[in-house]
Amino acid sequence: MLLTVKQMQVNYGSQRALDITRPIVFGEGERIGVIGSNGAGKSTLVKALLGLVPYQGSVVTQLKKEDMAVHMQYNEYAQTMAVKHIMEMLLNTRIRENRELLDLIAFFGFEGCLNKRYRALSGGEKQKFTIILVMMQKARLTIYDEVTSGLDFETRQRLMERLVKWYQDKEDTLLVISHYYDELEHLADKLLVLDQGRVVAYGGKDELFHTYCGRVIYVIDNQEANRKIAAGFRLIKAPEHLLAISAGSREEEEKITSVLLNNDVNFKRSHSDMEIMFMNAKERFYQEQEGQL
Amino acid sequence: MKKSSGKRCNCRMVFYELRNINGNLMPHFFGIIFPNIMCFLLSQTVISQVPEAARETANTSLMLSLSLVIPMSIMFLGYGALYAQEVEREIPLRMRLFGYGVGAEVLAKVIAHLIFMTFALTVYGLFQGLVMDMKRPTVQAFLGWILSLYLIGGVCLVLAHGIAGICRKFSLTFGIDMILYFMIMILTGMMGIKTDQLPKGLQKCAALLPMTHISNDYVDFWLGGSYRFMPLLQSFLFLGAAAGIVLLISNHTSRRQNRV
Repeated sequence: MLLTVKQMQVNYGSQRALDITRPIVFGEGERIGVIGSNGAGKSTLVKALLGLVPYQGSVVTQLKKEDMAVHMQYNEYAQTMAVKHIMEMLLNTRIRENRELLDLIAFFGFEGCLNKRYRALSGGEKQKFTIILVMMQKARLTIYDEVTSGLDFETRQRLMERLVKWYQDKEDTLLVISHYYDELEHLADKLLVLDQGRVVAYGGKDELFHTYCGRVIYVIDNQEANRKIAAGFRLIKAPEHLLAISAGSREEEEKITSVLLNNDVNFKRSHSDMEIMFMNAKERFYQEQEGQL
Repeated sequence: MKKSSGKRCNCRMVFYELRNINGNLMPHFFGIIFPNIMCFLLSQTVISQVPEAARETANTSLMLSLSLVIPMSIMFLGYGALYAQEVEREIPLRMRLFGYGVGAEVLAKVIAHLIFMTFALTVYGLFQGLVMDMKRPTVQAFLGWILSLYLIGGVCLVLAHGIAGICRKFSLTFGIDMILYFMIMILTGMMGIKTDQLPKGLQKCAALLPMTHISNDYVDFWLGGSYRFMPLLQSFLFLGAAAGIVLLISNHTSRRQNRV
């Protein structure tokens, strides 16, 4: 166990931003993705873990602050000097004498940016800069809070590819917050689903998918003809323009496939669709809440 | 969460802070160019207004008075502007997240600002020594003057740090700092108006500032005469206490908002 969050409550004035009632355990080497809409409490959780906001409850851990590295949603540095000086100061090293840092700079293709001032960097370069700094901390727990926010699609894709590649053969513990499900699909093996400050679900990615979506789902367009075809199967919550059919067994799966093929319906089969899992986890959470009331 | 030991202040941090100061033109203009040019120009006016026998004394008095601009510009205006910008951008938070404590960060800033102030004073001393005829000081007077300048610099920095910590916005901090800066300059005789020419109430306010006692009377001590240190010491205590209170309020505000 690396860290356990117990009974954590964070209030901003009269508003409760985070309310964790059951213990959340982060294990050593785990990759935990945090998903939730705006205002779900994702960044508040990070701030509470770092001790940047007051909270009730406790964080049980042997970690010191320097054992945690964090890429905040917004990162600012001195604007008036070359970023290499900022890098050398924060990491207390000389770039040209640090092989590991040079490799990391090369890995992210950041060599050409070292002499630029921070304000002259593009959005993607700024994110890369902080990522390099964060990675160089070699912390036991690394937190990425919406690392690709504000980036265009292509830059985001390229940055995520680099991140995934960097961590694929490493054993670092990661806490990755993102609005983009595809990012978490590649980086996370566990998910913490938050909504309005509450924990909707927490567990392994596959386990959560199985719990809320079944063995596999078939996603088809939400059209009149398709609605009729899908009517005989178990439909679960999906984005408005789509229909999601859940299959709980191999037989059910074969039956659905056969019907869809016979009716010439385009479909996507998935056993890891995070967006649909998220929607169904949320729906079930609130149904259970209402049931308890 | 276990308590962090944190990284210590090091040479690299001090060099970084020196680069940081260098990127901000405020201390260069107000701390180096402004006092040198101002002193030179005012001395030209003095030459035409005082008898030749009194010129060296008048120049010395002018040099002493305007030397006070240096710690005020660098440690008050310059530091305040720089730190307020950083606070607004939450750069101190980044420092904390990279393991640098408040102490290490502030110490590096203080050392860097002291180095810059020493450089500015050296330039000032050399330039004024070259272009103006002045009286040579006694050793005690010279050391007392240097010590006073660094003490004023220290108190100014504490005050600037506190104001920036309370305001947390560059524009507001800079506005307050600028008003205080020019108010102090006017009150203490640095802008050409002698303190005894001010209304009685303002004279009492001026007496609370150590700059007044350096600007107006210190030249007598410089020339080997007597000097009453008690008013200077009292004013240092007053300004130091005021700066300390501002810093305490700033720290209290930060703790309440739980900002690092």
